[in-house]
Amino acid sequence: MPLRVFLIVLFGILVLLQTFSLPGQFAHMAEESPDLAHLRWPLTAVAVFWVLCIQVVIVSTWKLLGMVRDDRIFSDASLPWVDVIVGAIVAAWVALLGVFVALAPGWGDPALPLVLILLLTGVAVLGLLMVVLRALLRQATTLRTDMETVI
Amino acid sequence: MPIVVRLDVELAKRKMSVGEFSERVGLTPANVAVLKNGRAKAIRFSTLEAICRVLDCQPGELLEWVDEQATQ
Repeated sequence: MPLRVFLIVLFGILVLLQTFSLPGQFAHMAEESPDLAHLRWPLTAVAVFWVLCIQVVIVSTWKLLGMVRDDRIFSDASLPWVDVIVGAIVAAWVALLGVFVALAPGWGDPALPLVLILLLTGVAVLGLLMVVLRALLRQATTLRTDMETVI
Repeated sequence: MPIVVRLDVELAKRKMSVGEFSERVGLTPANVAVLKNGRAKAIRFSTLEAICRVLDCQPGELLEWVDEQATQ
């Protein structure tokens, strides 16, 4: 139950971020430094997309938690939600890679590319972890299905 | 399945109803039906023991191997 409250709060914060903070931040950036103004809408779009990916993961986690509670987690119905999580992570990673490729050559300062590389590695590790967990879920589901036929 | 559960025969010999049998063995009537219809894929030794105890028989009297390839 505390986990569910946390997920709701997190989702609310993300919606606020998506609708007010992020567009506002990039509008502010465009005003402060007109040389970066052309990046305003692409950056807003990418940032909102990342938040969307996180929201997708939250919704899927919510669904999976419900299945754990109902003792339905080891069924084929849980696999699509895990696939959705993997898909969201892959999509976020690809968008991150796109930003890296588009922006990295233009910067003299190595700090931001370094941060992007760190983020790329982190999200990739997260994705790989999800793939491992997905395989774990599949094997456990097979085992559970086999055990249920034993009388 | 080439392994046949001769539960109906043993029940008939003892004139025991499926309801009484399932209650005494501790199986659900649904699982007893699965055993009788030959749709069972696996059985626990503890279940087999309970069945043998209730029917006072040996596992060999309950389980029978049928050569499926020969009958086809």
